[in-house]
Amino acid sequence: MSEPILETKSLSKAFGGLVALDKVDLAIEAGKITAIIGPNGAGKTTLFNLVTGVYPASDGEILFQGTLLKDTPPHRRAALGIARTFQNVLLFGNMTVLENIMTGQHPRSRYGFIGAALRLPKAHREEETISLNAMKYLNMVGLGTYAEQNALSLPLGQQKLLAIARALATEPQLLLLDEPGAGLNKLEKQELSDLIRRIRENRISVILVEHDMPLVMGLAEWVIVLDSGQKIAEGTAAQIQRDQRVIAAYLGEEVE
Amino acid sequence: MSADQFLQYLISGLTIGSIYALVGLGFTIIYAVTRIINFAQGEFVMLGGMLSFYLISAAGIPLGPALILSVLIAAAIGAIMYLLAIRTARKASVVSLIIITIGAAVFIRGIVGVGWGVDAVRPPYFTGYKSISFLGAYIHPQDLWIIGTTLVVVVLLHLFLSYTMVGKALKACAISPVAAGMVGINPRAMALIAFALAAAIGGIGGVVMAPSIGIDFNDGFKLGLMGFVAASIGGFKSPIATVIGGLTLGIVVSLAVGVDWGPFTSAYKDAIAMTVLLLILLIRSGRLAAEERES
Amino acid sequence: MLARLKGKWTYFVIAALLLFLILIPFNWSLGQYTVLMIFIGLFTMVTVGLCLLLGYTGQVSLGQATFYGTGAYISAVLSKICGVNPWLAMLIAAVATGAFAYVIGYPIFRLRGNYLAVATLGLGVIVYILLRQLGPGGPDGMAGIPYLSIGGFVFDTSFKRYFLVWFFCLAVLLISQNIVRSRTGRALRAIHGSEAAAESIGINVDQFKVKIFVLSAVYASLAGSLLAHQMSHISPGSFSPLVSIIIVVMAVIGGLASVWGAIFGAATVSILKYELLLGFGEWDIVIYGLILMLVMIFMPEGLFVRLRELYGRWRLRYAQRGAET
Repeated sequence: MSEPILETKSLSKAFGGLVALDKVDLAIEAGKITAIIGPNGAGKTTLFNLVTGVYPASDGEILFQGTLLKDTPPHRRAALGIARTFQNVLLFGNMTVLENIMTGQHPRSRYGFIGAALRLPKAHREEETISLNAMKYLNMVGLGTYAEQNALSLPLGQQKLLAIARALATEPQLLLLDEPGAGLNKLEKQELSDLIRRIRENRISVILVEHDMPLVMGLAEWVIVLDSGQKIAEGTAAQIQRDQRVIAAYLGEEVE
Repeated sequence: MSADQFLQYLISGLTIGSIYALVGLGFTIIYAVTRIINFAQGEFVMLGGMLSFYLISAAGIPLGPALILSVLIAAAIGAIMYLLAIRTARKASVVSLIIITIGAAVFIRGIVGVGWGVDAVRPPYFTGYKSISFLGAYIHPQDLWIIGTTLVVVVLLHLFLSYTMVGKALKACAISPVAAGMVGINPRAMALIAFALAAAIGGIGGVVMAPSIGIDFNDGFKLGLMGFVAASIGGFKSPIATVIGGLTLGIVVSLAVGVDWGPFTSAYKDAIAMTVLLLILLIRSGRLAAEERES
Repeated sequence: MLARLKGKWTYFVIAALLLFLILIPFNWSLGQYTVLMIFIGLFTMVTVGLCLLLGYTGQVSLGQATFYGTGAYISAVLSKICGVNPWLAMLIAAVATGAFAYVIGYPIFRLRGNYLAVATLGLGVIVYILLRQLGPGGPDGMAGIPYLSIGGFVFDTSFKRYFLVWFFCLAVLLISQNIVRSRTGRALRAIHGSEAAAESIGINVDQFKVKIFVLSAVYASLAGSLLAHQMSHISPGSFSPLVSIIIVVMAVIGGLASVWGAIFGAATVSILKYELLLGFGEWDIVIYGLILMLVMIFMPEGLFVRLRELYGRWRLRYAQRGAET
């Protein structure tokens, strides 16, 4: 097994008296699609937020490619190669579809206020690269014809694809997808699956939080199950489906 | 500084601090219930004072009714401001609301300036002008009115919030507008009440303060700033802390102005208050930022 | 064809604006407005910064006049009392003001919305009082500030200063436009769209907010210095918290995030203040209050921006009707 791209050691997070994550140990393999599943409130989004640095952990460590992430702010982690999407999408509604993706190129470009203000040639060259790269990601998710439209004019399914394209534009090594399938119809979910596989083929590691079991079981090469902030099982999709503890945790939850 | 002098500064500090406390309470009430900072809060104090003057001198209304009427009119203006300016701006962003309340403040100030002129006015004292001697210092009867009225307001407010249905509903909104809505409390009605109440309290402040040092159309701004400092000491949540904050601020300012600190004359008092404010905000900012991330 | 013209349209407008600007001082009847136009130019410089700040960080500064004032006073004191060349004084003032904004920017921007607004207001009060107490000349201000000059050419008449001020103003506007259309501009718009998402794609939100704040401060400082060297007399009253509010009025009319709208906002308020309402006492404050309320309630993106949007929609409907016939 190759070196894990992401590791957590005894990771814990409490909000006041509420324990969201309780001593979670993870080792995510590089280059694979890993799914994290669990009933609502299991701590999945909290985990994402800790990994991306939205708030600090109460206890434990997070290692990305072997490096300890301590007080690293979110924008630095993006530059290091961790990208994510959000449950509530969070597109930039004041920009076009293409501009959203171009903004995603931010950590891979350099010029700043001075270059912009004075329209230096370096800035111009970087802009061309940004545009080209953005178009590439736009086409990769299949939204090529919508480039000039306002981002929010797209239906939800395509907005989610746009969000993924924007995250891809940061040229990450690790992509965290937070419920990308929520609110999508069957066809859109199929497109999403295909896209995630293409992402994996580009040697980007994917961690997927999802509730849609068929989607997860069809995609994931490794499944981790959280419940009430603790890891209760992990294994291949087949192993998880037979695990008694997992079934018990989901009892009472809607099974698709 | 002798004990007598210190006592004198203490008294004048408590007096002016009471006004700051009242303004601060207005900020706190509106913010707690609606999450809006009403930049026009100081103007209600100014209105209270101005109205009492013109009702007494121009309309010839006797003292008692004039005071009550002034407060009621101020409350009404507060309610109207909420209905016309705030409620119509549905889903306005925080920044939009800030600008709207500033606009209201400027508008009110302008109307008063246009309608009643720019000069300071002073309504008559409630009970005469002979200072009372007290432990080596002098208290002016109006100062007693100011401090006393503030105490009464604070007590009444506490009783209102804790023991009446409306008061408890306001508190519920302050804790969680969503939860309050779910138990049948209408947040918009509560907001209206909050604005009217805050304006009334501000008006009371103006009414008791104006006979003491006069009032002019610009006073709303300065008083508003001071009241904001008081409210921020209370974290915009606790009326008690706001009042303590206001009184403390008043004493600090009184000492800063009265005592000879060398080059720092009384003109600096606003600057000192603002520096206190900035320090408080800075201290809180760390905590605020962390809270917001986790929500 | 319409799409190709759209880009050219901006150039037409700019060219027309330039032509208009150049002709004003030469025109016999319009020439009397030269001084008014100078003030419009100065206020535009101050307002652009606030428009960008409001539009891109969604935060309001109620203290822009602070930087206007520090620019004016630092430049005045250095050139008059210390004998520094006015151009150098202006540069030093801009750098000092920018540094000041940078230092207070980080702690201030950790506050949000209401608290940030009040912090900027408080700052404005403090600096205003300091200027009144410690500034040379006290509340009455200082006079005898030297004019700017290039070689032997002294900017000693309104006519000459008009072109100087508008040179700077247009430069500021162009630079702002360049910034908006760049990677930096996208980052700023991203911050306005969703701070959390912006952070997740590598944008250092805090740093950008401070940078825009510093930029707005530098613009205001340049305007202040130009004011000092052209009026040759400045007093604290021009930099009071009320002036900060008036600048907000200009920004609100001009439109949040609008670069060229800033001219519209500055012009509207200046014309109101110096021409239409001159004899009317406190009515200008009443109008400002009304504008602030009405615009933010009904057109929160700003008056000019809304007008431009309506115009765009009208043109679209007109074009569609033309296509139908």
